[in-house]
Amino acid sequence: MPPPHRNAPSAAFIDRSRVDALLAGAVPDDEDRAFVVRCILGEGPAHHRGANYVLLRLLGMIVDRLGGADMEAVRVGGTMPVPMKVPPHLEREGSMMAYPLGLPTGPLDELAPAGSTDQAAMVQCLSDGPPQHALANAAMIWLIGAALERLDGRASDSARPSTRSRKRASPPPKQ
Amino acid sequence: MNEARSEPPVELPQGLDQAFGAVAGELGMASAAWLFVRAVARCTGDPGVAALAEGAGADFPVLDAVARGWLGGLREPSLDPRPALEAVGKATRLVVVGVEASYLDALVQQLDPAVKVAMVAHSQFPVDWDRALDNYGGRVERVDLDTFQNWAGGKSALLTFAYGREDSRTAVAPLWLRACGADVRAQFRALVAWNVLEAPLQLYPRWLVEVEADTFTHFVP
Repeated sequence: MPPPHRNAPSAAFIDRSRVDALLAGAVPDDEDRAFVVRCILGEGPAHHRGANYVLLRLLGMIVDRLGGADMEAVRVGGTMPVPMKVPPHLEREGSMMAYPLGLPTGPLDELAPAGSTDQAAMVQCLSDGPPQHALANAAMIWLIGAALERLDGRASDSARPSTRSRKRASPPPKQ
Repeated sequence: MNEARSEPPVELPQGLDQAFGAVAGELGMASAAWLFVRAVARCTGDPGVAALAEGAGADFPVLDAVARGWLGGLREPSLDPRPALEAVGKATRLVVVGVEASYLDALVQQLDPAVKVAMVAHSQFPVDWDRALDNYGGRVERVDLDTFQNWAGGKSALLTFAYGREDSRTAVAPLWLRACGADVRAQFRALVAWNVLEAPLQLYPRWLVEVEADTFTHFVP
């Protein structure tokens, strides 16, 4: 069991509006986005909330310096729902009971073919756990996806061979 | 020189405090308080309202607040549901935690019929929940404290009633703390408190619990 924190860290540096702006393209509805941002930055232990903020802000800066996020391009690659962790006996039949921020799967295609067991396991790892983890993971994948799209665009524009494979892993053959 | 004449003390019927406890269960403490204050004022005027606050206020601080508001000139509760509706926003499911019939009546009347509404059937007072909810003709469904998370979701909201605010603090039914734990906070998009008192409580918040107002996503003043 890890030792308790000697002093609870402060998360006073969190400015929700900054992350709200970062996610505007991923979650266009203001109320949906406010819910997601609250779960990422307003709920759970301070060290998780603070770490989420730092990582999302830095990823946002990377995307900005690459030319800004095109979240629609990330969305086109597909998303998986991030489910709520209600007790199983309270799940509504026929409803996903999911958060308004999905997990983009396009960036994961770089690591494992769409539809593969490995990618399914990656999705599960990223979307499991409490919402301050699962939604922060999803938000980070949106920004990473946006950064990858920009890098792809640059590689195409410069007509130089990319250091990164341009070929997406292909899905396994259908059975 | 005229000698100041003191008003004879108003004698209210015995058992008003017990009656208030019975009514507060099904109507809510603020809604019941307005009912009692109006009735007492109609029969005995302001001295009777003052006697009501003196006699039952310590046991029921919400009744005390409404009575003192009346004596200060406040003759009607603010039942305009529009700010609360705005706080509920685009939610398609609304779970009400706590009872305030006058306020809920106003809210439900103006709520989009497509929005499903439920009330957590739990109270510190004895309540005939079937009778209480029959007033809404099926519009408000019954949920229990251990099952209301079945209504959770990305388009779901929780609403409770707050009893005054002083600086950052407000008072709510203890049921709110039983319902809105760390898990539930992340399962409902809006956590709304609708303040039903114009002024903060002046007495110990018996029947209630103090919380920070900023623990709600929306505090409707």
